Amino acid sequence: MKSFFLLVIIALLRFSANASGQPLVSLHLKNVEISQVISTLEKESGYHFLFNSRSEDIHKLVDIDVENADVTQVLNDIFTGTHLQYKILDSKLIVISSAENAPPATITGTVTNENNEPLSGVSVTIKGKSTGTTTDQNGNFSIVADENAILVISYVGYAPQEVSATADMKIRLAPSQKTMDQVVVVGYGTQRKRDITGSVATVAGAEMVKQPVLTATQAIQGKVAGVQIISSGAPGSQPQVRIRGTGTALGGTAVLYVVDGVLTDDITNINTADIVDMSILKDASAAAIYGSRGANGVMIITTKRGAVGTMKINYNGNIGVRKAADVVKMANTAEYDNYYQAATGKIPPASEYSTDWYGTILRNAFEQNHNISISGGTEKVLYYFSASYFTDQGIVVNNDYKRFTVRSNDEFRFSSAIQLGIQASFSTSNTQTGFNDINVDSNGNVGSAYNNAYRAAPLIPSKVNGKYGNTSAYQNVGNPLLDLSNNNTLVTQNRTQGTVYLNIKPVSWLTFRSDLGGDLGSTPARAYNYQFNADTTTFTVFGGNQYNTHSSLQQKNTDRFRWVWNNILTFTKTFGEHYVSLMVGTTAEKFKETWFSATRKDIPADPNLWYIGVGDANTSQNDGSGDEWARNSYLARLNYAFMDKYLLTGTFRRDGSSRFPEQNRWGNFPSLGVGWVITKEDFMNDQKIFNNLKLRGSWGQVGNDQISTDAYTTTVVQNLPYPFNGSSGSATNGSQINQIKDPNITWETTEEYDAALEFSILDSRLSGEVDYYNKKVKNALIYVKIPSTVGDQDGQVLTNAANIQNTGWEFALNWKDQAGKDLNYHVGVNATFNTNTVIGLNGGQPLPDAGIGASQGFITRTDNGHPVGSFYVLQMLGVFQSQAEVDTYISKSGTIIQPTAHAGDLKYQDTNGDGKIDDNDRVFAGAYQPKCYFGVNAGLNYKQWDFTFDIYGNLGNQVYNGKRAIRVAGTDNIESEMAYNRWTAQNGSQTQPAANTGNMLASTYFIESGSFIRINNLTVGYTFKSPGLEKYKIASLRVFATAQNLYTWKEFSGFTAELPGTPTYSGIELNAYPTTRTISGGIYLAF
Amino acid sequence: MKRRFVYITVILLCGTAISCSKSFLDIPVQGGVTTSSDPTLAQKLVTGVYHSLMQGDSWGNGDVHGFAFLSVTNIMSDDADKGSYSGDQESVVTPIDDFTLTSTNTFALSLWSGHYNSIGACNQALQALVTAAIDTGTKIELNAEVRFIRGYLYFNLVRMFGGVPLILRVPKDATDANTDPVFQTRATDSAVYNTIIEDLQFAVDHLPLRSAAQPGHATKGAAQGILAKVYMYQKKWKQCFDLTNEIIGSGQYQLLPDYSMIWRQASENSSESLFEIETGAFNNANLKVDNYTVCQGPRVGGAGGWDDLGWGFNDPSLSLISSYESGDVRKDATIIFIDHSGTHKGTILWDGNRIPSSDSIQNLYYNYKAYTSKTKETYEDPGDKDRPKNIRILRYADILLMNAEAALQPEVGQSAAAVADIAPLRSRAQLPPKNALTIDDVWQERHVELAMEHDRFWDIVRQGRAAAIMHAAGKSNFVAGKNELLPIPSSQILLSGNKLTQNPGY
Repeated sequence: MKSFFLLVIIALLRFSANASGQPLVSLHLKNVEISQVISTLEKESGYHFLFNSRSEDIHKLVDIDVENADVTQVLNDIFTGTHLQYKILDSKLIVISSAENAPPATITGTVTNENNEPLSGVSVTIKGKSTGTTTDQNGNFSIVADENAILVISYVGYAPQEVSATADMKIRLAPSQKTMDQVVVVGYGTQRKRDITGSVATVAGAEMVKQPVLTATQAIQGKVAGVQIISSGAPGSQPQVRIRGTGTALGGTAVLYVVDGVLTDDITNINTADIVDMSILKDASAAAIYGSRGANGVMIITTKRGAVGTMKINYNGNIGVRKAADVVKMANTAEYDNYYQAATGKIPPASEYSTDWYGTILRNAFEQNHNISISGGTEKVLYYFSASYFTDQGIVVNNDYKRFTVRSNDEFRFSSAIQLGIQASFSTSNTQTGFNDINVDSNGNVGSAYNNAYRAAPLIPSKVNGKYGNTSAYQNVGNPLLDLSNNNTLVTQNRTQGTVYLNIKPVSWLTFRSDLGGDLGSTPARAYNYQFNADTTTFTVFGGNQYNTHSSLQQKNTDRFRWVWNNILTFTKTFGEHYVSLMVGTTAEKFKETWFSATRKDIPADPNLWYIGVGDANTSQNDGSGDEWARNSYLARLNYAFMDKYLLTGTFRRDGSSRFPEQNRWGNFPSLGVGWVITKEDFMNDQKIFNNLKLRGSWGQVGNDQISTDAYTTTVVQNLPYPFNGSSGSATNGSQINQIKDPNITWETTEEYDAALEFSILDSRLSGEVDYYNKKVKNALIYVKIPSTVGDQDGQVLTNAANIQNTGWEFALNWKDQAGKDLNYHVGVNATFNTNTVIGLNGGQPLPDAGIGASQGFITRTDNGHPVGSFYVLQMLGVFQSQAEVDTYISKSGTIIQPTAHAGDLKYQDTNGDGKIDDNDRVFAGAYQPKCYFGVNAGLNYKQWDFTFDIYGNLGNQVYNGKRAIRVAGTDNIESEMAYNRWTAQNGSQTQPAANTGNMLASTYFIESGSFIRINNLTVGYTFKSPGLEKYKIASLRVFATAQNLYTWKEFSGFTAELPGTPTYSGIELNAYPTTRTISGGIYLAF
Repeated sequence: MKRRFVYITVILLCGTAISCSKSFLDIPVQGGVTTSSDPTLAQKLVTGVYHSLMQGDSWGNGDVHGFAFLSVTNIMSDDADKGSYSGDQESVVTPIDDFTLTSTNTFALSLWSGHYNSIGACNQALQALVTAAIDTGTKIELNAEVRFIRGYLYFNLVRMFGGVPLILRVPKDATDANTDPVFQTRATDSAVYNTIIEDLQFAVDHLPLRSAAQPGHATKGAAQGILAKVYMYQKKWKQCFDLTNEIIGSGQYQLLPDYSMIWRQASENSSESLFEIETGAFNNANLKVDNYTVCQGPRVGGAGGWDDLGWGFNDPSLSLISSYESGDVRKDATIIFIDHSGTHKGTILWDGNRIPSSDSIQNLYYNYKAYTSKTKETYEDPGDKDRPKNIRILRYADILLMNAEAALQPEVGQSAAAVADIAPLRSRAQLPPKNALTIDDVWQERHVELAMEHDRFWDIVRQGRAAAIMHAAGKSNFVAGKNELLPIPSSQILLSGNKLTQNPGY
């Protein structure tokens, strides 16, 4: 390289000295080049000057008029408004340099968010140049730049900053008020948030990881309008998600999760700390790109990657304690005795005990979560590795959950045009329970123990001197503590899930991506039941029905494999004012599952012997089967924006699914969205109110294919034995064809309209969104009852025969501001109002469900004009206050309507007026589906402190107190409140019946309000100032304390009003795992 | 360079397109045998028909010989009371016992569904047999077995409900089932009887004699016996007499010497037995009609630390007890008498098992014919109180009684034959012979000989004595012209779009 620098040395001619020893000069020059001034100075001052004569600034024309000024004063004067600088060296040499040509240096720095937490992936570019980099996992960047260069720091969701490059920069970004600049993951690609015409919400991983919960889904409860999360307290369970109401009457309501391109319905294997963000596609136009799987909404999860830079190590962890959030207070022995006598007229046996059965089976549980990640990269390779260990004791005794995950996300960059990457995770989890159920219950039910604890008489001890109280010998339920101790069930779930992708970008406007995802799972499980007799070895007294004559062991292994292969081609180009992005692609997906199980009896209690081979071979039983299906699709999406003002999105997916008969195998799922950014219009130029105002509307169709793979094929039920020679021979296996199938079954289709207005005002400090949606599910898959004469054993056939509508409004408002230098804060509020109605049951047959036992019958009914799964029970009118009231409660024809009733019994409405109370008198009495659900999220940062809280709630729904309803015997316990408030001739209650032995009819007596408001999460954190940390090589340190489910206001008298279930069987508190409260503390550490 | 990318892109896109060929989505059902994948399907479906006779899901999908069957045969008759304690099953069984039942009664529905489930299994088997690749002789015999069972099922249905929908084919699909009126409307009872006779006659013509048949399978004798009973209900006495004579003359059957042995496990498929619902064990579990024995076991109900033998239903009534002549050994073989002497000595049963006295047992009388021995009979699952018990559907004593009843009818007029029929029954009961028999004598003999064996209610309806006997037994709610039949389940009327008609009076 040729020398750029030409040095001119001019001899010093004359100087004078001032007090400081600097020579003073007097200059009077007009319109001369700086170089000429310097020449004169050299002569006058006696300094030597060194400068680059090719610098532009040196030839700039200046005026100078000073008398007895020192040299620096002159230089400062003439260099004003130029890039020229000077440095006085010894030997009277002054070096003049131009900042423009400062030698490049490696500038390093750290970017943090408003909480001083490092931000990774932040773009750092030099202003006016194309060079740039991104921050790594710890927020650090290094870039080669001239000193004094201007760096532009920008990150999605944060206000961009321009800063001069200096050594060791510390940059703190403030959240942007302009969320329109964000890029949003929308399925098979991304879209600028400003261009989106459908309903898509995004939650950042950093927000989710704060909460001490297992899955990301649980952590977004209350954060997104239109998304209802119903979670159970059971460790290892996945919460239920309902997006914009219940769209089906069947069990196939699971939301679709897409983890790095792999479609799944279970994300309990994903470590929340690995998540960058989650996109929630709420309306049909957004979800239509997932076609036949999109009907219940889609949640797209993107996991983290490394960034160019040095290796960064992060640790975050928390340790906490959980307990049942609310416990129902049961009667003690004195209260029980009193009630029992009143109900049965008998005197209960004397007892020295007063057992709190819930206290016996519930406990304070320990929870911990540790995550460590290592990331970094070079120009050629980016790497991210993480490991996490999560343990969660259940609050029910003998229940434990442990999960270990590792993840490795790596990208190999062959050139700027080709990248190959792999994103893979392995997870193994153990669920240990005392329930006799080898299949993990997705609703987290606790089997019989929970209900038995409600009914168990307090006068029986739980366990004394190692022997169990014999509740069943007292003609009561089984001892619930023994229920949980006589089973030992361990379910292990191993999952390896990952994607290998290839990105090719031959030209700037064309990208091809091929990714192949796999999800390999194995679930070995075993259930051991201990042998015990109803004798005094096990119990305090002999007798009763709780015994298990033979120990047994069941082992079940399930193997699943799913692969998906996506090939996506994306064109993106701007033609003048026209922005066009077109994506076309194909995907293919296949799933295969096999399982087998084996059982033997008489296996010793030593856990080392819990293998099938140890058991009595004569008691062997085994079973097994499998499942397989495939999907194949073609998809396309067009985004078009004119002047960033008029927006259009169209998508189309053609889906084929093996779950449907050949003639119905392929379905088309189109969608169309339009948007109008009003603030971009000329007529809005002068207004000062709106920073952004956007109107959008969309329409789309999505499908639901979640039915069993044998729904349209007539299959034979095998292994139906008949012992032709009675007890003296062996049985012969027969078969039956006892299910009528619908050979023309097809997907249910959801058609949805969505209209929304987005705005931001007050310098974008206040932003918000109002959405209206109308979602209609056509041909919903439903079991239709058919006459028994057809010979179908369960009397029902699965077919497309219902229409269900959800309409609603969603509101979201967010306020973000800064108050002074040290305080910034935000408040967000969202609310959803949804109306669910069954609008067309073909054939007009209502669908009864929720047969909970006792004398209750089916307590829900799905029928035209009512929400799916509405409670359908007798209307309680009050309590008979006297025998005279019983005798005068007569029908039109004069017969006594409740002839067997007594004073103190519930009085029911004779709805059909036939003079008697039976199932024909039932009425619709509300549903579990809330009319409104809402969330409030707020946070503030003050100096190094940060504070956030979330509130979540729902209103206007009903729950059924099932545990109270299946009280069936005089020996069953009652709630303390019932013991006191029961009807007596003296207190004349109109709401509580007299002491009774249970077995009550299903009525509105058991229905209570499901409304609740909860402080879902409250977190306080403190970030240590970095100067003090550096000597320990710590980049960042934050400690925090967090409380999950701190307090709940509810009207329901039970444990929790949050009761997951199927659409037609939910909101019933019967075996629900109690909701928990967690208090934990944690630490975040970055090196 | 660019061109190379284009090639890669094209290759990968083609790759997906290939994977997307039509066969990619053609995935047969895994683990579910279809009609085409099992060559021995037809034979297995026939076994499946027998299996369906064990249905006892009384509160659920169907009952053929379970608790619901017991309720509408024994409990509804004057032979037995509901039993257990008063509140137990008071919404289902009590209305059956006291004739206040309505069309929403769960047991009536489960009997309806259970029988049609079995009939569906019969029709599926008959359809599969048409194309089954098996030799003609076997095929005809299997056809005959299935038609025997279908005839028997319709015979039960017509006795319970009157004329019912006559389903003799498999519906193509749900639409077919919902549109063809045959599935929705009732045939006349004579049309049903004609079908029963056709089915049973085919069985008589093509089934082997007992000696040539595999145990437990339908035989010529069984088909003749049920057909004879059908004729008896139709008062076709001549046919009844001839058929029973044929059975008697076949030499295939004889009475067991000891009456008390008939219902024990040791006498399964004995020489007295024409047809039984077989029970036993399979795969280490009891294989039985659900709840048949457990629902009839003596119930302690919370006293004294004793373990219940069962739920305590279907208790022999005082009117049954009083209908035995003194010295009739059949009384003690039919009824478990709970010690009520106040001496707390308990009751020792045939196997030496002692059960508590009345202070610890809820009722005084239980059905001995449903008793299973924990120590002297075999079963598989000791934790299961619902132990296997073969249900004797038709035994030789019944043939003799039918023969006697027919013999006394004027159009037959063979009273000597009747005397000869009854003599061995009375002698086995250790009662003196009767040499001059009236029809009432035969009815009385039939009553006590077949007590608690499910025929009593239908017998008195057939004999035209139902109202009188019921009222005499204190069942004052019995309405003649109504309560002879069960109500058609209202849900089924609803499902038929009201094309099914209700029985009179309901």
